[in-house]
Amino acid sequence: MAIRSKTFRESYYEDIKLFQTIWLKFWTAVFIIGLVLLPFLGDPYFVYLVNLSCIATVAALGLNILTGFTGQISLGHAAFLAIGAYTATNLAQRLGTPFWVNLPAAGLTAAIAGALVGIPCLRLKGLYLAMATMAFGVLVEYVVITWDGLTGGVRGMSMPAVSIAGYSLDSDEQKYFFLLSVTVLMLAAANNIMRTRIGRAFVAIRDRDVAAEAIGVNLTKYKMLAFAISSFYAGVAGALYSYTLNYIHPEHFTLLLSIQYIAMIIVGGMGSVIGTVFGSVFIVVMPEFIKMFAQALGSLVPAVAGRYDEEWNIAAFGLLIMLFLIFEPGGLYALWSRVKVGFRNWPFTY
Amino acid sequence: MRIQRKWVAGLGVAILLGLLTAGWSAAEERGVTKDKITLGLVLVKTGPVAALGLPNGQGMVDYMNYLNEQGGINGRKIEVIWEDDQFEAPKSVAAVKKLIHRDNVLTILTTGGTNQTVANLDTINKSKIVNIPNALADEFFKPLQPYIFAMGATYEAQYQCIVDYIAEDLKMKDARIGVVYAKKEYGKKGLDAIKERAAKYKIPVVAELVLPTGAVDASSQVLALQKENANIVITCDVLPPVITFLKTAQKYDYWPVIFGFNWATDDALVKACGEAAKNYIGVNFVGAWNDETPGIKLARELAKKNDRQIQLTSLYINGVGVSWLFGEAMKRAGQNLNPDTLKAAMETLSNYDTGGVFPPVNYSPTSHAPAEMVKFFKADVPNGKLVPITDWRKPK
Repeated sequence: MAIRSKTFRESYYEDIKLFQTIWLKFWTAVFIIGLVLLPFLGDPYFVYLVNLSCIATVAALGLNILTGFTGQISLGHAAFLAIGAYTATNLAQRLGTPFWVNLPAAGLTAAIAGALVGIPCLRLKGLYLAMATMAFGVLVEYVVITWDGLTGGVRGMSMPAVSIAGYSLDSDEQKYFFLLSVTVLMLAAANNIMRTRIGRAFVAIRDRDVAAEAIGVNLTKYKMLAFAISSFYAGVAGALYSYTLNYIHPEHFTLLLSIQYIAMIIVGGMGSVIGTVFGSVFIVVMPEFIKMFAQALGSLVPAVAGRYDEEWNIAAFGLLIMLFLIFEPGGLYALWSRVKVGFRNWPFTY
Repeated sequence: MRIQRKWVAGLGVAILLGLLTAGWSAAEERGVTKDKITLGLVLVKTGPVAALGLPNGQGMVDYMNYLNEQGGINGRKIEVIWEDDQFEAPKSVAAVKKLIHRDNVLTILTTGGTNQTVANLDTINKSKIVNIPNALADEFFKPLQPYIFAMGATYEAQYQCIVDYIAEDLKMKDARIGVVYAKKEYGKKGLDAIKERAAKYKIPVVAELVLPTGAVDASSQVLALQKENANIVITCDVLPPVITFLKTAQKYDYWPVIFGFNWATDDALVKACGEAAKNYIGVNFVGAWNDETPGIKLARELAKKNDRQIQLTSLYINGVGVSWLFGEAMKRAGQNLNPDTLKAAMETLSNYDTGGVFPPVNYSPTSHAPAEMVKFFKADVPNGKLVPITDWRKPK
């Protein structure tokens, strides 16, 4: 009788199963329990950072679908966040609609805008596409600042708290569970999209668009779809941002924010859903680690004590992107995969 | 598939339980021990607008250290923890949470500019953070925000004062106002206030031109103003673009009377522009660096003692003034110092004199509104400084 290997698969169904081994289920359960207990283990500052990581994950996931999976670069991602944020805030503030209407509406509005941007961008690639999307970002910023009646202009807009059955989610801990739920849903959706025909078409376009077209992938349709799905994620992230901060302002959605999301997917891993989570959490939490490192260094080297400032983070941010691009283009996900494979095959090296 | 449904259901139940139990936390006393008071400060230290936050924060820290040298507050020494928000709202919110929940500060002297303070409003009210924002917006005091004490003059009031001055002090015949503004809160509010006030005096506003904050040249704006024969230019922009505008105007031999508000009224402007600033008149709600009032003298001494290389002296003075008010309120609060007693003590400041740093300060339990008073300053080019040309005044 043949002994079945833990990675041996006998059917296509087994091949695409999300939970392939009992250990994966076990660790997933441990992870879920950890997530539920998380806000009770940390203070509101810690929980707030986790909340920001959730928003960043949803937004970066959208960008990864467009850039990492489909190979279309975008410097205008923050603009789609702005569209989502202002849509949700307007609906909540003016019409009093609940979050379960506002979130999809924010995503859909951004998705329509994304599809419209996708049309003129169909023939653009690389640097030209980057410039076109950046120009869109500038355009949205102008509209947001100028259209006072809709956006509040430079005064910004206040957003009421999420309310579930009359129960208002005011504290960071309550917001955490709301954000976590949406993030898990968005991650599951992205994971599934990537396993379908659509996801495989995106990857085919990224790898070689001419070849993809030759095997029957409709470039126009799928490129527009990539823009729309990516923007949907950004729109939802924008709405989550508004619900978390309870206030939005044109200065919250700048080019720098788009660049931060690019950094997240580079550091996390282009074309990887789980890598996006790694990258988002890493970039949001990284300043804390640098601060801790600076404090530890300061206690050892008196000349460094008290010299820490935010410029250290900016320098580390740039350095990290450079290091990842040179030494680990696959990002944290590639590192994670190597460690995982190493453990799985131990004591063998391959 | 059944297994996966169980997982999803399990996660759903766990999240629901979490939602229902989240937010249980016990309140506790903060930031005051037998011999120490810990205060927080959230102000930009690095990034593109660091030049605005640094002198402001240094003024606050230096004055608190000065109080420590005088024996502290009712026997307690003050420690200030300064968090840098890089002028970004999400970072400001994070910094406020860190200061309150980790560093356990009594209060936070300032939570940053308008955008950052509004984003923190919920935490300010829940955690009773008595603070003086380093910006001014109507929503800080209309309606009354229990823990925010507004200081200075709103952008609207500053520009109303400027138009009042043009109409009633300059008394220029055939005055034609051109407005150069940034598409920022201060720019748009300033523009609206100028138009409204100028209409009242029947002074024509002949041009409204945008000058971005990062502008390195203002030729198109200067040429457009020359074409419209604007003999008065009111700038609603911060210091760097106003310097750019003055230098460009000099290049084109264009010499209108040029006005600016508090973020562009500083000795640094005269030093940077030289002769180009000869027609510049600015307003500010703090005294000038070279005033001989006791408060300003103290600010100069503190800067010298702490070896501060200050570019924007008005912001340093502002910082000293903010700490001055907190110091006085903490003294008045007595031994039982907590956010409630601190707030109550701030509300007792009536016609309070800061030795020329600020106009007289008036707060009460029903009003935390700013004084809405400014002084006018004119450039003294040979000496590279601003000199006051009026006393404190309000919009008429």
